Amino acid sequence: MDDLKFRRHAYGDPNSQDEEFLAQISASESDAKLVNELKALDSKLTNALNIDVPDDLADKLILRQQLSKHQQQKKHTRYLMAMAASVALVIGLSVSMLRFTPVDLAEHALAHVYHEPKAMNVDQNVGFEDVNFKLAGIGGLENAKFIQQPGKVFYTSYCDFQGVKSLHLVMEGEQGKVTLFIIPTENRMVTEESFADQNYHGLGFQTADTFMLLVGEQDADLQYVKNEIEQTFI
Amino acid sequence: MFDSLRNKKSEPTVLSDMLTKQRRYDSLVRALHTDIFRYAYWLIGDKHIAEDVTQETFLRAWRALDSLKDDKAAKAWLITILRRENARRFERKQFDYSDVEQELLEDEKSSTNEEQTEQYWLRKQIGQLEVEYREPLLLQLIGGFSGEEIADLLELNRNTVMTRLFRARNQLKDALESPEVRGQSNG
Repeated sequence: MDDLKFRRHAYGDPNSQDEEFLAQISASESDAKLVNELKALDSKLTNALNIDVPDDLADKLILRQQLSKHQQQKKHTRYLMAMAASVALVIGLSVSMLRFTPVDLAEHALAHVYHEPKAMNVDQNVGFEDVNFKLAGIGGLENAKFIQQPGKVFYTSYCDFQGVKSLHLVMEGEQGKVTLFIIPTENRMVTEESFADQNYHGLGFQTADTFMLLVGEQDADLQYVKNEIEQTFI
Repeated sequence: MFDSLRNKKSEPTVLSDMLTKQRRYDSLVRALHTDIFRYAYWLIGDKHIAEDVTQETFLRAWRALDSLKDDKAAKAWLITILRRENARRFERKQFDYSDVEQELLEDEKSSTNEEQTEQYWLRKQIGQLEVEYREPLLLQLIGGFSGEEIADLLELNRNTVMTRLFRARNQLKDALESPEVRGQSNG
């Protein structure tokens, strides 16, 4: 180790445990003296660097952290509450959207007929008392009833018009079967008096408390059933 | 309502996690706040700012405690946070504390004996070192870091670090050994 390198090493780290460095110290008295001087300098420096630390610093550091943790927890709770509130809001909104969006009965009626082909193929020969019984089970239609048999009824069941419970009947027309939907009136319902697609014609009208929708293949059948209903349904 | 739902299942583990983290933080504070504060002080040169920066450093350390994997590296980790925090101080406030040429040391004890006088004077000398020489020396003497570790912390190469340590000690030693200069700077 040459002198320059030794001095650099000594000044860089007088406490170095490098073997070459230690060997040099034991070999040369003057080098050992230099290293001792530097060590003495280091201990003076270390003393000088050891300034007083405020007594309560550790406590302050912990206190500060506790406060911040507390605030975070509060924020966290607030966050959870906010999440809960917005979830509730979304649910509330979508329920009311579902309930208050206009329902196009005509379109729905056609779709429903296509959706339930079995309704057209069964013959349960339902009596009007049974139909009345079912009508009584629908909110808003408790007082509606047939006063006598409105022609033959092949099929009856509850069905759902966008959240509104209603009654699905299949009745006999002059020539073919006619599907009848009885739906309690709600403001959001819209319908056309007559509607049609490639296969079916439809007829909509409103009595006191209900919407009546008729869907069948022939306009004549529809008129026929409509007449029957108007005579028997109050 | 939500509290009770939340507490039902996860409370025991969350609680024990929190406790472990809290204990870890507490021991970190107890073990290292002295070194960190002293380092901050010698880096910044003002006790109050040093205390603030130490506070910020430990608060950040608390928030990031999960990222400290190895407790042995805690001191280096804290010093890294502290240096970043100190740099941020300069970004935040546009005015300049420019190193330590201002009155570094509060003259708390009027020097009564020679040893105290010398220490007072030595502190002033340390404060007057250029920060690029001062910092490696602080890391070595306060932090107890090796040349390689200092090089890592300061993102310098090791030779540069050794050169700076050399110059730092050289300047201080010269200053100590030339009483006229001492007299002047003391006067």
